[in-house]
Amino acid sequence: MITAELLSEVKALIQEDRIVEGENDHLLGNNGLVKVYPQTEEEISAILKYANENGKKVFVEGNGTKRGFGGLSESADILLSLADYKGIVEHVVGDMTLTVKAGTNFKKLQDYLAEHKQKISLDPFHPEAATIGGIVSSNDSGPKRLGYGSSRDVVIGLRIVYPDGKVIRSGGRVVKNVAGYDMNKLFIGSMGTLGVFSEVTVKLRPLPKYESLILLFFPQGNMEEIKAFAQKLLDSTMEPVTLELLSPALSEGLTGQSCYTLAIGLEDVETSVQYQENFIKSIQPENTNMKILTLTDAQAFWNQFYSLHSLESESLITSASLKIGVVNMDVTQVMKESQLLGDSHHLEVQAHGGLGHGLCQVNLKGSKEDVVSAIQQMRETVAGLGGYVVIKHLPFALRQEVDTWGPKPAHFFLLEGIKSKVDPNKVLNPKRFVGGI
Amino acid sequence: MAVKGIKSKDRHILNLANIVGDARSIIYHKEDLIAYDCDGFTLHKHLPKAVVFPNNTDDVAALVKYCSDNQLPFLARGAGTGLSGGAIPLNGEVIISMVRMKKLLSVDFENRRAVVQPGFVNLKLTNSIADKGYYYAPDPSSQYCCTIGGNVAENAGGAHCLKYGVTTNHILGLEVVLPNGEIVEIGANGIPDAPGYDLLGLLTGSEGTLGIVTKITVRILKNPEAKKTVLAYFDKVEDGSQAVSDIISAGIVPAALEMMDKIAIEGVEAAAFPVGHPKDIEAFLLIEVDGIEAGLDEQINNIMEVCKKRNVREVRAAETEEERARWWANRKTGFGAMGAISPDYLVQDGVIPRSRLPEVLNNINNISQEYGLRIANIFHAGDGNLHPLVLFDARIPGQREAALEAGSACLQACADVGGTITGEHGVGVEKREEMRFVFTDEEIIAQTDIREVFNPFNLLNAGKLFPTPGRCVEIKRELKEKETAIS
Ligand SMILES: Cc1cc2nc3c(=O)[nH]c(=O)nc-3n(C[C@H](O)[C@H](O)[C@H](O)COP(=O)(O)OP(=O)(O)OC[C@H]3O[C@@H](n4cnc5c(N)ncnc54)[C@H](O)[C@@H]3O)c2cc1C
Repeated sequence: MITAELLSEVKALIQEDRIVEGENDHLLGNNGLVKVYPQTEEEISAILKYANENGKKVFVEGNGTKRGFGGLSESADILLSLADYKGIVEHVVGDMTLTVKAGTNFKKLQDYLAEHKQKISLDPFHPEAATIGGIVSSNDSGPKRLGYGSSRDVVIGLRIVYPDGKVIRSGGRVVKNVAGYDMNKLFIGSMGTLGVFSEVTVKLRPLPKYESLILLFFPQGNMEEIKAFAQKLLDSTMEPVTLELLSPALSEGLTGQSCYTLAIGLEDVETSVQYQENFIKSIQPENTNMKILTLTDAQAFWNQFYSLHSLESESLITSASLKIGVVNMDVTQVMKESQLLGDSHHLEVQAHGGLGHGLCQVNLKGSKEDVVSAIQQMRETVAGLGGYVVIKHLPFALRQEVDTWGPKPAHFFLLEGIKSKVDPNKVLNPKRFVGGI
Repeated sequence: MAVKGIKSKDRHILNLANIVGDARSIIYHKEDLIAYDCDGFTLHKHLPKAVVFPNNTDDVAALVKYCSDNQLPFLARGAGTGLSGGAIPLNGEVIISMVRMKKLLSVDFENRRAVVQPGFVNLKLTNSIADKGYYYAPDPSSQYCCTIGGNVAENAGGAHCLKYGVTTNHILGLEVVLPNGEIVEIGANGIPDAPGYDLLGLLTGSEGTLGIVTKITVRILKNPEAKKTVLAYFDKVEDGSQAVSDIISAGIVPAALEMMDKIAIEGVEAAAFPVGHPKDIEAFLLIEVDGIEAGLDEQINNIMEVCKKRNVREVRAAETEEERARWWANRKTGFGAMGAISPDYLVQDGVIPRSRLPEVLNNINNISQEYGLRIANIFHAGDGNLHPLVLFDARIPGQREAALEAGSACLQACADVGGTITGEHGVGVEKREEMRFVFTDEEIIAQTDIREVFNPFNLLNAGKLFPTPGRCVEIKRELKEKETAIS
C-alpha cells in the first residue's frame, strides 16, 4: 500500500512515536495520509526536503483551528503538525521582544507574559487552542486591531523552513528594521504556502494599567444613529481600542440583550479611561442604554467573545465563518445584509465588525444550500462596496462549490510568480490559497 | 514628431522627450545632469543619461515601457534626500523624477484615509488636514521636503514612530508601475488584508527596485488630545541610556524618546536652532508622551522618577508650545547641524536591542578613537535606532575612506549584539556589503528571487540593496541552473 511505503520512508526522518496514520473523512478536509509531529527544526527541514525531492505534498497545521480555512484537496501525503514544536526561545523582558517556536499555544503565551506585565498585542479567535504560527500564517485578528494593529504590525522576525528544507530568516530581533526587503510581510497571511514558520519574533506591549468596556445598546437598531455616533467618537480625540458593532444575536449571546450593540474598549491609565468613559456618556445618543464592564469583567467578556464561534462541525448543520473587508463605515451595510440573509435563508447569524478598521466576521449556521447561497449573495453585495469576502471556515465538501478567496486579483500573476520562485514544486499547502496557489 | 527645443542626436532622448511632450520635462545636457549625480549620500556619484518629469501615471507607464523595451536602465527619484544612495544612477539610468506628480488627490476623514501622488511632500499632508485636527504620522526629520513616494520606497521612520509605527504601518494602498510598464493597483480602496500575499508590505521599503509608485493611499490619524514633552540632562551617557531602558520597561509607551550625546549637542548648539543646553552635559533625552490629557501627568511623573533614579542633572517639562517646538527644531535639524562643527559628516543608521545601548555606545566610542574621527550620536533611543554621525574632512587625504570604514564598523557593532544595519535610511548603495553582517548568502538569494518576479531584467534601480554575489553564491547558482537544465 502507498501509505505503508510512505510511512516507512517518513520513519527515516523522524522518530516513530511522532508519526501517526492520518484520519480519513475529516469533515474539514486538509488531511494527510500520515501525520507527523516534529520536535526540532531539523526534523521539519528533513520532512520538507524529502517531500520536495520525492514529489510529495505537505499540509501544515498548528493545532488545527483553521482547518476549515481554504484548501481544495482532501488530503496531502503528509500532514505536518507544529503542535509539538513549542516553547519560548528567548524573552528579553527589558527589550520587550519575544521569540517563540511556532507551535506555542497563544493563551499560554499571554498568561506567561502577563506575569511580566506584558502582552502580544493581537487578539485572535480561539486563543486557548490556536498557535502563534497559525495565527500569523492566517493573519487572524480581532476587534482590538483598531488599537494595536495586526500581525504585520507586531511580527518583527521569522525563521522559515523553505520547501527545499533550507532555513531562511526574515527581519530580526529589533523593533525597527529596513535591511533588505521586508520579507516578514510576504509570509504573514500566506497560509503556509511559502514555507513553514519555525520561530516567530514579536514586539511586545505593556499590559494596560486599566481597562474598561462600554456596551452601548441600540434597542431600535437604527443604523444611521449607530453610524452617526461612531463618527462622532472617531472624530473626537478619544482613543478606543475597539469600536465593534455586534449583531443582535451575537449581543444576546454575550450580554443577554438582543439588539445592535457597540463594544467600545478603553485601555490606558485609570484616569484616562474614566475621562473617556465620561466623554462617551456625554455624547450617548437618545434611546440607547449603556453598561460599563471594568477589568476582569471586561476581560471575561472578550474571552467569551473570542471563543464563541464553535469549531465543531456537525454533518446536519453547516457552519461557516466569513471575514469581510470593507471601508470602515460600510461595516454597517455588511451588518444589515447579514441580518437580511439570516431571515431570507433561515440561518442563524452572528456578526460583528469594526467601525474603525472595516473588518467584519459573519458566522452562519443552517442548511448546506442556504449557507452557500447566502455566501454568494454576500459576495455580490460586498463586491458592490468595493470590498472582499474570505471564507475562514467551511466544510471541505462545500469549498469546492464556493471559492474560499473569491475572484483572483488583477495582479494575480505576481502572487503566482512569488509562489513559483519559493515553492516551484508546489509542495506546501497546494490549492489552499488565492486562485488555487 | 520631434519635440520643439530639443537639441540632441540621441534617439532615446528624442523619444523620451516625445513621451513627456515638451522640452521643459526633460534634462539631458551634461551640465544640467550634475545636480542628479547623487542624492543625500554624496560619497558616490554617477551621471544619469537623462532626467524626465512625468505628469501622470500614464506618462510613467509609457516611460517605463520605453526604457524596458530598449534595455535602458532607469530609476525613480523623489526629493533626493535619501541617505543611502538609493537614487544614485549607478548605471547611467534614465531618472524618472516624481516631483511634478505632487497632488493631494482626496481626503476621506470619515474613513481616515487620504490619497496622494508620490511627489507630494510629507509635511504638506499634515498641513493640509491639520485644520480638521488630523495628521499623517510618519515624520522623518526631512519631512518638510521629502516625498511620500520616497518614504514608501525607504519605509521611512521618524521620531514619533516609536508609538505610531513607521511608513509601512500607515500605507493602505498603492498604484504601481511595474518594470515592464504595466500598471497594477494593490490594496484597492485602502481596505486592509485584501486576499493574496501582502504586496503592500513587500513593496514598502523595497527601495525603488520592484516598481515605481504612482499613487498612495495612506492612513491619517486624529491628533492626540494633548502632548507633554520632557528634557532630561545627564552627566553620564550610561545613565541616560539606562533611563531609556527603564522608561520602556516601566510600561510607558512614549510617542518619542530621543537622545543626543555631547558632540551632537555641540553641533546643534552651534547651528541655527540652539536651545541653550548646558555645554558640559554628556547626553540629553527628549521624551514626549501624548494621548488623553487626563492620563499624561501620571506618565510624566513616572518618567521624571526614572530619570532621577538614574542621576539626572536636570529634568523639566516644556512649559509652552513654543518651547516644545524649539526643542524639536533643535533635534530635527540635528544632522545638518553637524555642518557647523565639521566640514563633512556621514550619517549611519544601525539598530540594536534597547537594553544593549550602553555597551554599543561604548564600542562606538572605541571605533571613534581607533579611526581618529569624532563620532556624534543622535538617535531614536526608544526603538534602539542609532544614528552615529562620523565627522571628517574630505580635503584631508584618507579621511573619506576612514569615515566610510568607521561607519561600517559601527554597523558591525550593532549587528554583533543582535541588531541590524539600517532602521530607516535603507541599504541603497552604501550598505550593500554590510547586508552580509546580518544575512547569509541563501537569505540574500531568497530576496533577489523575489526581485526577479517583479524586475526580471534588473533594469529598474540595479546595483542597490544587495551585495554583489559572493563567489560561492555564483557557483551555487550555476549548479542550480545545470541541475534544472538536466532534470
Ligand atoms: C536631513 C535629513 C534628515 C533625514 N531624516 C530622516 C528620518 O528621520 N527618518 C528617515 O526615515 N529618513 C530620513 N532621511 C532620509 C530621507 O529623507 C528618506 O529616506 C526619504 O524617505 C527619502 O525621500 P525622497 O523623496 O527624498 O526620496 P529619494 O531620495 O528621491 O529616493 C529614495 C529612494 O526611493 C526611490 N523612490 C523615490 N520615489 C519613488 C517612487 N515614486 N516609486 C518608487 N521608488 C521611488 C528612489 O529610487 C530611491 O531608491 C533624512 C534625510 C535627510 C537629508
